[in-house]
Amino acid sequence: MAVAAHRLARRPLLAGVFGLPLLAPAGGARAQGIEPAEAPRRAERWRDLKAAIFDNRETQPAGDALTLVAPPRALDAAAVPVSLSLSPETAPRARAVHLVIDENPAPLAAVFRAGPAGDLRALSTRVRVDAYTLMHAVAELDDGRLLETAQFVKAAGGCSAPVGTDLRAARERMGRMRLVMPEGPPTGPDRAVPVQVALSHPNLSGLQIDQLSRLSIPAEFVRTLRVLYRGAEVLTVEADISIAENPTFGFAFAGEAGGELRVEAEDSRERRFATAWTLGNSG
Amino acid sequence: MGAASRRDALLLGVGGGALLLGAAAPPSAGARAVVEVAPGVFVLPGLHEDASPTNGNAIANVGFVVGGASVAVVDPGGSLAHGRRLRRAVEAATPLPVRHVVLTHAHPDHIMGAAAFADLRPEVVGHARLPEALAQRRDGYLRMMEREMGAVATAGSDALPPTRLVEDRLDLDLGGGRALSVAAHGPAHTDADLSLFDAATSTLWLSDLLFVERIPSLDGSLSGWLRELAALRESRSAAARAVPGHGPPSVPWPDAAAPLTRYLEALRDGTRAAIAAGLGIAEAPSRVATVEARSWRLAENYHGRNVSTAYRELEWE
Repeated sequence: MAVAAHRLARRPLLAGVFGLPLLAPAGGARAQGIEPAEAPRRAERWRDLKAAIFDNRETQPAGDALTLVAPPRALDAAAVPVSLSLSPETAPRARAVHLVIDENPAPLAAVFRAGPAGDLRALSTRVRVDAYTLMHAVAELDDGRLLETAQFVKAAGGCSAPVGTDLRAARERMGRMRLVMPEGPPTGPDRAVPVQVALSHPNLSGLQIDQLSRLSIPAEFVRTLRVLYRGAEVLTVEADISIAENPTFGFAFAGEAGGELRVEAEDSRERRFATAWTLGNSG
Repeated sequence: MGAASRRDALLLGVGGGALLLGAAAPPSAGARAVVEVAPGVFVLPGLHEDASPTNGNAIANVGFVVGGASVAVVDPGGSLAHGRRLRRAVEAATPLPVRHVVLTHAHPDHIMGAAAFADLRPEVVGHARLPEALAQRRDGYLRMMEREMGAVATAGSDALPPTRLVEDRLDLDLGGGRALSVAAHGPAHTDADLSLFDAATSTLWLSDLLFVERIPSLDGSLSGWLRELAALRESRSAAARAVPGHGPPSVPWPDAAAPLTRYLEALRDGTRAAIAAGLGIAEAPSRVATVEARSWRLAENYHGRNVSTAYRELEWE
């Protein structure tokens, strides 16, 4: 996936678009906010990205089957919260959900893949956004169909935004994990609850600058994160540099008290991290 | 309500200025005059607005200190036009040369007017971490200014690269026995904040370590900012006045820091409570410290981001 993403040259922001009215309808309600002069270029970029990522396969509008929610104007470009949800009919049939941030240096931000012990009905993460961008989600169903949806997000500078803490402190904390279950642990195999896992990791994009050498810091990011329940895979996330510092992923999960939830992650330097929790103790 | 009506009054003031100056509002519309807050300490007050095509990004308090032999500019302004206005104010106040330009941190409303002083080849003073901050952010800030102000009002604006870095403390000799004591702070408002103390007038120039009236923007460390404020109240308890980065040109010290401290504490406590309650980072901004935020101008533009920044810092405590 990194190959597909990196094959696409990043296009510079067009000059001369500033100050244009931002409310013209360009490409439907979900694309609201796109500058009219930019709309054709953005549409072309998405066509190129889609062809590269999905090998020229056709996509269909997702309608109500897949929903992407991100703030239209991001508060914090270095950590824009994104949620992806599938309709109840679609969720059991979805094999993967792809999140693409069209204008980012590495546009394919994450691929969520369902394991035998989970589904993809309610996903979330935090991403970096480098420029005003269309964000796309594409669900891949078990019959091979691809369903796409989009939202326009105004935020800029996230990919080269400085790491939030000083790098030394971030490295000392690297590998620590958090498990958050805001509604408490699941109470049975049929009652899913929201779960969020986070790994302390600077997730360096390679676009930040080292303060001493003034050279850019080499990319160092979480590549995969796997969630297992009683040894069976719930979901796997393939991630890239567009994921914000301290990669955080949410999903819906059903399980029973006493069951073990385990998170395993690997970064681009082949460091491995793992933590396990016994359900019932929500911490 | 109070904040809103004050802001309306300010906007009316800008409109009136534009009318007086003619149909095409120049970047100096709404410009305010320089204020001598203590002998030799001059502040050009900023507007409580965000950068716009008509305000030339003149939104921060900037100024200068006149010594016996030279002048130190403390933040050269938010655009080339703002910097030039500041330079004219210097020239109106004294024939002495500008030898120092201090960049109190990397934010564009404070430093992008430095280009107006480039031909004077001043010593450019910044925090030891400032070069990195500029390397990371300068291009993005200029793009942002073009978006918000237009290319014409942005043209020519730029920071100058620091030529003298402050690791801890540094005295700038302005001649005639007057020295400005510059202090480098740990991550607070940003990760490269400087403050200055003018012993001759007991004036503490805090720039954006102190916000008054306008909502603070958190871009460094919440707990660090509270720590630095407490330390400053201790170490500079005898200062006669402070110059905030936003707010009146001169305020009583340390009383004027009380609302800022209260806001930062509310932000900290509210964000901690949200994290403990399992409230997500997407929901927290509309739920945390909203009452405390209401008494600040431009809260609608900055409070949400402050919560998001605080959240990311505090969730790993």
